[in-house]
Amino acid sequence: MASIHTLHILNKSPDHPRFQRCLTALGPEDALMLIENGVLATTTAGRLATVSGQIYALSPDLEARGLQVDDSTFVPVDYEGMVRLTTEAGQVISW
Amino acid sequence: MSTLVVIDSAPYGDWTGREALDMAFSLAAFDQPVTLLFLGAGVNWLRKGQAPEGISQKSVEKNLSAAPIFGVEGLLADGRDCEAYGLAEADLIAGVTRVDVGSDLLHQYTHTVFAG
Repeated sequence: MASIHTLHILNKSPDHPRFQRCLTALGPEDALMLIENGVLATTTAGRLATVSGQIYALSPDLEARGLQVDDSTFVPVDYEGMVRLTTEAGQVISW
Repeated sequence: MSTLVVIDSAPYGDWTGREALDMAFSLAAFDQPVTLLFLGAGVNWLRKGQAPEGISQKSVEKNLSAAPIFGVEGLLADGRDCEAYGLAEADLIAGVTRVDVGSDLLHQYTHTVFAG
């Protein structure tokens, strides 16, 4: 797994003001981890088109909401995968 | 080991911002490097001339303008949000630095925490 400069963990739904704020704060070597309401952003890929880094989504939250994601844009991970990501990132920010 | 405390909720409407201020001042009291960043509606905390006695609340203006004395290293505010809420230099309390909030700003702090 490429090392991540900052892992941004986002649990806000797409219409929460802090959702867009997080996207604008994403650096080129950062990664985005969608959890809880944040996974709703996987419903319209266009919303995250500007994100250059890798986008992860927590599978239990996806399954809870009946969401299927196409693996080319979003990487589903389980809790263990999420913990591993936080250990690889230099910095973690929970929005 | 520096902390950025981000306040993006409007003043006086709920306790979220005030709790974050208390947290920041506590960190500063224990000599932890801490900086406050106001975003979105949170920039309204920084307007001069707050007088919330009529809604039986205490003004935070005095604490905020005395932040450096309390050990808070910086009062930052998103420049675009200040404009959006009609806050020019003259409307802001003393000691506020307007910034452009992006990944380079956040990367300067070890921890970034949000109010609420």
